[in-house]
Amino acid sequence: MESKTFKKGIEVPHNKQTKDNVLCDCPTPATVYIPLSQHIGKSAVPTVAVGDSVKIGTLVGKGDGLVSANIFSSVSGVVKSVECRKTPVGASCTHIVIENDGKHEETLLPPIKDFSPQSLLERMKDAGLVGMGGAGFPSHVKYAPKSKVDTFIINAAECEPYITCDHRLLLEKTESVLKGAEYLMMTLGLNKISFGVEDNKLDAIERLGKISSEMGVNAEIIVLKSKYPQGAEKQLIYAVTGRKVPRGKLPADIGVVVGNVHTAFAMYAAAELNKLLYRRAVTVCGDGITKTANLWVDIGTRYSDCVEYCGGVKADCVKIISGGPMMGFALDGLDYSVTKTTGSILALGSKSANIAKPQPCINCAKCAHACPMNLMPMYIDAYTQRGDYSAAKRYGALDCIECGCCAYTCPAKRPIVQSVRLCKAKLREVKQ
Amino acid sequence: MIDVLIALFPCIVCATVFYGYHVLINLVTCLIFCCGTELLYGVIIGKTRTKESLKQSSVFDLSFAVTAVILTLNLPAVMPVNNWGMNVYSSAGTIVFGFDTVVLCALGSIFAIALVKMLFGGIGRNFANPACTGRIFLFIAFGGAGAFNLTSSLFGNGMAATGATWLGTKQIVTGSMLLDMFLGNTATAAVGETCVIAVLIGYVYLSIRRVIDARVPLITIGAFALFIFLFDIAPSGADGEQMFMSLAAHVMSGGLLFGSVFMATDYATSPNTFTGNVVFAVGIGLLTALIRAFGSFPEGFSFALLIMNLAVPLLDKYITPKPFGYIKPPKRDKDKTSATTGKAVGNE
Repeated sequence: MESKTFKKGIEVPHNKQTKDNVLCDCPTPATVYIPLSQHIGKSAVPTVAVGDSVKIGTLVGKGDGLVSANIFSSVSGVVKSVECRKTPVGASCTHIVIENDGKHEETLLPPIKDFSPQSLLERMKDAGLVGMGGAGFPSHVKYAPKSKVDTFIINAAECEPYITCDHRLLLEKTESVLKGAEYLMMTLGLNKISFGVEDNKLDAIERLGKISSEMGVNAEIIVLKSKYPQGAEKQLIYAVTGRKVPRGKLPADIGVVVGNVHTAFAMYAAAELNKLLYRRAVTVCGDGITKTANLWVDIGTRYSDCVEYCGGVKADCVKIISGGPMMGFALDGLDYSVTKTTGSILALGSKSANIAKPQPCINCAKCAHACPMNLMPMYIDAYTQRGDYSAAKRYGALDCIECGCCAYTCPAKRPIVQSVRLCKAKLREVKQ
Repeated sequence: MIDVLIALFPCIVCATVFYGYHVLINLVTCLIFCCGTELLYGVIIGKTRTKESLKQSSVFDLSFAVTAVILTLNLPAVMPVNNWGMNVYSSAGTIVFGFDTVVLCALGSIFAIALVKMLFGGIGRNFANPACTGRIFLFIAFGGAGAFNLTSSLFGNGMAATGATWLGTKQIVTGSMLLDMFLGNTATAAVGETCVIAVLIGYVYLSIRRVIDARVPLITIGAFALFIFLFDIAPSGADGEQMFMSLAAHVMSGGLLFGSVFMATDYATSPNTFTGNVVFAVGIGLLTALIRAFGSFPEGFSFALLIMNLAVPLLDKYITPKPFGYIKPPKRDKDKTSATTGKAVGNE
């Protein structure tokens, strides 16, 4: 079948060495540090205090307002402290620190009333579901769009190199993912799911096709060319439907909602198994880690625990990234927590990591040729460096999806995405 | 940079073969002075004068070498200046070592690197092609003193005022003349322009290595061919086969081929979008044709390139790709201005 795709973007090495690593359990640590901000929107408000006993699934943070999400304990035990700690992006938020008593006592949600859109939305909210592809947008807001929606797409592209957690879910938990996707589809009142899968996952494509017809789920599997950033929302929608999301607007404004594979799985767990969201699949990968793996990790587990379980980092590991190499965050240490949106922990050795010093821009325009949003990154970078943020805006700073194509192709190895982020922050400041 | 140097290598070889060892003397001079100027610029103008700051100099990206090579290839092999009397002559009256030429090369290098490149911010920030502008400087400053009168001898290493270039005489073109031009068996005002094959090899190499966009030189040459046909060949009353011959001679003469491949595609001085590049290339073609047909210079490429280089910031300001999901702003009546760019043209 012919693979669909979008314009521009770049070819990156897939590096899917972990695609055959079966998901296995990362042992629950002795202490978990659960951040109260794992989503877009306001941080959750703590609902427990020091000394409280909690079970797996106990609410430890309540969503504050509409665009927010509930946070649950991933262990049973006693709350040791409620303190402010740092997050991988350089910010900090309140963390609930719980000491694991090892008993693994779990509390579940009551069985769902019915499978009407309202009950499903309520279930999403109660279970604390957010977009698990990395953005963390609260699902109960996304799946209740104001505009009319006619297409539902599951983003199974997983275009970032190294990450394979979604791929493993598609292979190992196909029925659950399909059922969860069906629930998400029902929330929107539709009757068809489109799965956008990259063509480097032919086994997943085959399996999805087979299981969906066995289960009678109306799923259309669309094969996409493996190009980065195929999994970016706007590019995915364009490749699958041919529609372009207008500048400054949401996919729902053109009738499309996109969900992640892992979110679909979490929906199944919440709707049928009545489980709350406290655990996710994480890929530990890269040539800087002793043993790569795909792990089921409890939220609140430290990166150091996961890395230790995988044998620790090798001697020549120079960079550790939370997320993928294109859009992830380089870390200054391993004392950060796995959250609902952590897809991978990538340890890079000196051969694979980019530690080059930035050179002056030579205006070669390779970045402009690569940009999937048709921007001119060299000018955004140049004007931001000079402090002229409104000029940078003219060249598309606010439309940037921060995919990293420009920085990847730049022969001078300039940190263009960081420039754009700075520009966006400055423009936001001015607006306020 | 290394790719560009490799692509220029056939031209250097051909130039040395046809014009003799003085080409290499020029080359070494230019390299030394380009490198020196770039290194010392920071020391002289900058505040820190330590060995550390020298180590961090931009010289190490080798862009000075590209400028030096292109400058050498844009100049004649020897440039004797009237009344300077610094040349070393052989018994036969040919120049064995032209000190004039070395001085001019040095001056051209210093001008190109210091004034055109470093003064404006170094690599990536030059407003025009340094080598081309350096050549123009030498031509304008020393042309009157006889430096560019010689079109260099062939297969020799001295000075013999062999015939002017074809552009100077505009003789009727014959097939054998075309073949001569193609192989390099002809006189040109600059040593690098002679051998068309060498330029073509460089073009193919750079295109394969994806260093340049292969379409831009073709558009430049195509636009030039169209305009020179309109301005020069059609009015001259040539017909049939002679039209084609004249056209081919025009295309293969002068700095057009060499410049289209190596200078019009320079990153810093060409637009950043394909549409912008098309306008740029057509502009160069048009201006070269105008200068050759109506101007007082026989060869117009360098000036055309300089003029279009100056226009590049304007092209980049108004020819930008439409961002993905661009919404056409609704027509406003009077004073509200659109937040998006002016004449946003399509993307590639």
